[in-house]
Amino acid sequence: MTLAFSGAIPYRQRLPLGIAALAFLFLGVFLLYPLVQIFSASFLDSEGTAFTLANYTKMLGRPFYRTAIANTLQIGVAATLVTTVLAVPFAFALARLPIPGKSMILAMASLPLILPSFVSAYALVLLLGRSGVVTQWLQAHGIGFTSIYGMGGIVTVYVLTLYPYVLLPTIAAFKAVDVSMEEAAQNLGSSPARTVWTVTLPIVMPAILAGGLLVLIETLENFGVPFVLAEDMPIFSVEAFKLFIGETAPNPSSAGVLGVLLIVTTALVLLVQRRFLGARRFATNARQAAPLLKAGPGLQLAATAYCWTIVILALIPFFSIVVLSFLEFRGPVLHLHFSLENFGVLFSRHLRPLSNTLIFATAASFCVTLIGVPIGYVVTRYRSGLASLLDVMATLPFAVAGTVLAIGFIVSFNAGAIVLTGGPLILVLAYTVRKLPFAVRSASAIVHQIDASLEEASISLGRSPLETFLRIVVPLMLGGILSGMVLSWVTVASELSATVVLYSGSWSTLTVVMFQALESGGAGIATAAASFLIVVSLVPIALLYRLVRRYELS
Amino acid sequence: MSGIVIAGVSRIFGTVRAVDNIDLTVAPGEFFTLLGPSGCGKTTLLRMIAGFSELDSGEIRFGDSRIDKLSAHRRDIGMVFQNYAVFPNLSVAGNVAYGLKARRVPAAEVATRVEEALALVQLAGYGERLPHQLSGGQLQRVAIARALVIRPQVLLFDEPLSNLDARLRVSMRSEIRALQKSLGITAIYVTHDQEEAMSVSDRIALMNAGRLEQVGVPAEIYRTPATRFAAEFMGTTNLVAAQVLGLAAPVTVSLRPEALRFAEDAPADWPRLPGIVAAIEMLGPITRLDLRLANGEILRMATLDTPQRTVQVGQAATLAYDPARLTVIP
Repeated sequence: MTLAFSGAIPYRQRLPLGIAALAFLFLGVFLLYPLVQIFSASFLDSEGTAFTLANYTKMLGRPFYRTAIANTLQIGVAATLVTTVLAVPFAFALARLPIPGKSMILAMASLPLILPSFVSAYALVLLLGRSGVVTQWLQAHGIGFTSIYGMGGIVTVYVLTLYPYVLLPTIAAFKAVDVSMEEAAQNLGSSPARTVWTVTLPIVMPAILAGGLLVLIETLENFGVPFVLAEDMPIFSVEAFKLFIGETAPNPSSAGVLGVLLIVTTALVLLVQRRFLGARRFATNARQAAPLLKAGPGLQLAATAYCWTIVILALIPFFSIVVLSFLEFRGPVLHLHFSLENFGVLFSRHLRPLSNTLIFATAASFCVTLIGVPIGYVVTRYRSGLASLLDVMATLPFAVAGTVLAIGFIVSFNAGAIVLTGGPLILVLAYTVRKLPFAVRSASAIVHQIDASLEEASISLGRSPLETFLRIVVPLMLGGILSGMVLSWVTVASELSATVVLYSGSWSTLTVVMFQALESGGAGIATAAASFLIVVSLVPIALLYRLVRRYELS
Repeated sequence: MSGIVIAGVSRIFGTVRAVDNIDLTVAPGEFFTLLGPSGCGKTTLLRMIAGFSELDSGEIRFGDSRIDKLSAHRRDIGMVFQNYAVFPNLSVAGNVAYGLKARRVPAAEVATRVEEALALVQLAGYGERLPHQLSGGQLQRVAIARALVIRPQVLLFDEPLSNLDARLRVSMRSEIRALQKSLGITAIYVTHDQEEAMSVSDRIALMNAGRLEQVGVPAEIYRTPATRFAAEFMGTTNLVAAQVLGLAAPVTVSLRPEALRFAEDAPADWPRLPGIVAAIEMLGPITRLDLRLANGEILRMATLDTPQRTVQVGQAATLAYDPARLTVIP
């Protein structure tokens, strides 16, 4: 039967079809099925038996949830606008102006991507919150201070942690601009400033928009930052979580409604991004990097100060949390004594979550690599309807907030054919699904760099497509696969939004310890956990960086 | 050593007939070239033989055995790619040994055969080098050694010289031909360069828009082009409307520039054509000249460099042509 089946498929398509079939199976069970469960939960009554639209009218009828939607969108748009306005001049300065310490700035500017954003939010509370260190000092000197809770604080944290999403692609775009376009404009009588405004900026606009929309999606999904900073202000993802935890009826209809609304919103943004940007990508083929512009000492100084200010401001929260973790806390109150007690408590009482974090991150980064790399290979090498469907499906988790996916997992896998709730596997699987889009994207980018004729050469020399993939493609991708793995390892280690829904009993993680310490006011443990998390994130990145450099030097 | 039979092969992409019902027979040991402009289907046809493009109809045989249903890695073909496709993660020796290891040749034999193959392409002693340490020409030699060492039934070349500079291209093409002749492996070579095709091939198949325009030995295609396309693609020519005595319909005749001479150098029985010199192009060994005839038509002529003669644009000149070299295009 298998022989007859395989005989009907052209041999060239057997490997991609096999990979696609396995990928669809995985995504069907661990992505589509949970999403369908959430959709059906939102359309069924509280007993889960009859179809109804009542959940939607009930939820949307309440001013509280309407406010939650409005708040989330307002914060998202505000954060996106501020981020873009700050990051574009930054990118221009780094790409085109003579600024000292560029590679250092660039390395430091990438760090917020791998450091957990809710740690930054928490640091803000410890510094500027009601009983924050800075707040108390200011009050002692008679200086009043407006609250950092609510919209202002959330937008600030989003801007400081998400600006690399706009910065990095925009730098690349500025560098890729063909200089001859600018030369043509100046040759036609345009001043340098006008040239940047009328020629350069429009060319890089798609990259700016792409980054901006990523920021918007991240803010819509984010759970940790509003959880720390929103206080009474209702926010989409937080309310979905609270509803789900509080819901006692067999069918989580209310959480389902919020989940569906959140998915639809982010999916719309993602769709706009793909459609709109796919159509207007300006191809410029720069033969050489654009030369640095001549800048007067005043402009140079201002640009340098500007870049360093943003980079440092973004890292201050992380730096201060490491410092604070070595101070003595009594409850939430901080004393200026050096102490290792926070770490002592962390390592003595929370060793299990600590090891869970490392184990889960390792397991999930292996899974996501094993699944993501073959998918990335197929969607890049084979142009067919099936491949683009796979591409869309593998990108879909990006539009699903961690909280929502986790709720879908619980609803799907607490009974029936696959029971996973209560164990560690459900966490690893949720992480794998969440990080899959990044793994597929990065794998696809590497495959783009590998000439397809290398594979054809290997096949014509007598290696089967599968052997060719393992012997030629995988070794050539190895560097990229490794860095992708480290990146997913780091981001899984600081994952909060899905973890907080899915963990149970002894299977909690470091982020859960932080989360619980925040709720109960155990600031000391929280800072120690956050510091540990920061170190755990930075060490593999630093190792990878050295490894890659050594590899490139040899 | 086996010949290749291509019978009724077609490939359709959407509405485009990329390869349109091609029939070809390549003799054992022959150096056969598929020549044509880009998009004519020559590369698609080559990739069908290699197994990287499917056939919509027809069949391909090596000797008596049909291979078009066979997976690409079981076809026993040595292929040389346009961009070399040398594995960057393997040494030169590793690249050449790749196909032997896939065939589970014993290690000792692999070593000697790799040495022989590298010596054959004048890269003896380069085995330990990595590809990024080699020049373009050396990479192409590695690619050729890698294709030869497996002693394939058939060698395929996909525009192997187009990434090399002009000088290297000329020396490599004679080397490739010499190698192929000494080993006697049937070869199919794809190029868009008519001069390269004429220099290496036993026979050429000229393709256009998915179809065969003409198949023949180089001199025959050049001297007696069967179609207007063949006449124009195989080099510069003059296409002149003419009337054949006793035939009602007008025909086109092709007259190569080198079949024309200045009247004073030509035999007395060659027909004369007076005109005004419209352009002169001095190319070194040869000089090209455009002559405007009384009816306004331009006649292109080429002559070996003759320093004694001084011709200026705008002067009157008379050319003569060899009537035996007129080719009637149907």
